[in-house]
Amino acid sequence: MPNKTHHILLVEDQLELAKSTLTFLSENGYMATHATDLRSAKAYLQKEQFSAVLLDLGLPDGDGMSLIKSIKKTKEQVGLIIVSARDAISKKVEGLDLGADDYLTKPFFFPELNARLKSVIRRLNLEANKELVLNEITLFPEEMRALVYSNELELTAKEFELLLYFVSNQNRVISKTTLGEFMSSKYIDMGFSNDMVYTHIKNLKKKLTASGCADYIKNIYGVGYKFTV
Amino acid sequence: MKLLTKTSLNFISASVLFFLLGSVGMYFAIRTLMAEDLQNRLFQQQNEFALSAQQTSIQDLATDFLLIEPAKQELSHSFSDTVLIIHGKYVLYKQLTFSFLQQGQYYKVSILQSQSATDLLIMKIAIMNIGFVMLLLLILFFVNRQSIKSALAVFYSTIKKLEHFEVAKAASLTLDTAEVDEVKRLNAVFEQMSEQIRKDFQTQKEYTENVSHELQTPLAVISSKVDELMQADNLNQSQMEQLALLLETTNRLSKINQALIFLTKIDNRFYDQGATLCLNDLIKERIAVFQEAIAEKQINLKLELSDITHLYMDPALAESLLDNLLKNAIIHNKQQGHLHVKLADKSLHITNSGYTLTFDAADVFKRFISSKENKGSLGIGLSVAKSICDLYGFDITYQFQENHIFVIKFI
Repeated sequence: MPNKTHHILLVEDQLELAKSTLTFLSENGYMATHATDLRSAKAYLQKEQFSAVLLDLGLPDGDGMSLIKSIKKTKEQVGLIIVSARDAISKKVEGLDLGADDYLTKPFFFPELNARLKSVIRRLNLEANKELVLNEITLFPEEMRALVYSNELELTAKEFELLLYFVSNQNRVISKTTLGEFMSSKYIDMGFSNDMVYTHIKNLKKKLTASGCADYIKNIYGVGYKFTV
Repeated sequence: MKLLTKTSLNFISASVLFFLLGSVGMYFAIRTLMAEDLQNRLFQQQNEFALSAQQTSIQDLATDFLLIEPAKQELSHSFSDTVLIIHGKYVLYKQLTFSFLQQGQYYKVSILQSQSATDLLIMKIAIMNIGFVMLLLLILFFVNRQSIKSALAVFYSTIKKLEHFEVAKAASLTLDTAEVDEVKRLNAVFEQMSEQIRKDFQTQKEYTENVSHELQTPLAVISSKVDELMQADNLNQSQMEQLALLLETTNRLSKINQALIFLTKIDNRFYDQGATLCLNDLIKERIAVFQEAIAEKQINLKLELSDITHLYMDPALAESLLDNLLKNAIIHNKQQGHLHVKLADKSLHITNSGYTLTFDAADVFKRFISSKENKGSLGIGLSVAKSICDLYGFDITYQFQENHIFVIKFI
């Protein structure tokens, strides 16, 4: 789906996690480069052009925070997502203040990472299309509008978020837990019960099919959902 | 009582006591001296009289203050006090009586000396004495006070700095340089102690952050691997379900870890970003966030925010406190139940319908206590609320009277 291959720099010292993340990124059409510490990250940043950086904070040769400023000073177009196990609110605020575009707490779910990555790249690439097109569906994330066959689709904010999430993570099994976490992070941690997720998806599916859209959202019993194209 | 007041009081009471004793002693000493002086003068007059009597007739020497009368025999010397009335005033006189022999005739001679002059002198001396000593005392008092004040200035600044010392702040405690050895030692001890406390605090803070990091990272590895596995095409239904369960459990584990770390941080006072918040606005804001969940359960919401209440709190903690209580009131509510949020008299009442507890009411604020039916709940939200209240000295109570009632008193 990405009309241009985006180059992502992954700064992560945990090798197993980095391996999974790299696999995930390449599966989703990204080109990814991996740096295990601040020094090599800086070297890569000087040599190559990146669309986004996924930055871990606790690195062997220092705090990733120090990298944020230098990236944002020279390369404004680079999206920066902090991926850290440190959930401290102060860290989050500090990181965002320094210029990071988003903050993801470990453990995270890949679809979540993907959705955030796409959102950050979309926001920073001014020339790129503001809309997402998938067959008969057209999404305008900024305006929270959705079209099916050029007809306006009336969706609630949550239904729109879900649809955008599915479109960003096509052909992927997304577990109920992952969806629940996504909804909780977008709205509020109500311990978003599976029932609530189920209700929202059921309504979304109903609206999509009513508008003549193909039934892309497949329910995998006891597991979750898959947006199959 | 202040140190300065205490020393001043001691000084004043001791000075007054010794001054009184000294004054009394001095009075008697001066009086004795004056009496002796008077006697000496009388003796001198007696000698002068004897000299004069050798030339003239004794009778001619008599005056108002030198009384002469014939006597039958010789008399011994004697002093006595007597009172004369002069111009209608009583005047005290000292009288020396002795006998004098002239031409075979004994005379009784009395010489009188007024005591009023000596009394006046004693009085003058006494007044002068009191005046000078008072002045001296006053000067001493202020000099003493100032010197103690200046000697203790560093001590007071130390107290002030200790009062404002915050272990979570980055700056270490630096006390003024003292001249007085004792204060110097005290300051040195305080500086060492505060440095140690600060170091311990930092270590503990880093430790909790590291524990979080060390636990969250492996959990991230697990969930990323499970997610990867789940995408495989050749899995059967049961394997898929097991993987989904694994993902859910890992997520739950991470949630518990995060919640525990959050609790530890509150208990260890890691949140020190204070701001004055309008509780009314915050309640409205948080209710708006929960609006959908409230609508979903068709809960009848009643908001009664009569008193404007301001609190000085860390905004993140204030939010967390309200969220935990509201979440609790919504999750454990009945379908078509009711929720009543009331802010009045510096206290917040959250009353909601719901089922009776399956555990003891006294345990609601304990960690991992949750009703059996609600599997999604970690049972930690209310203990977070309690910890936040404890941190700020708010009084939070729970009771069940047909409804669940939580009351926070902001003291």
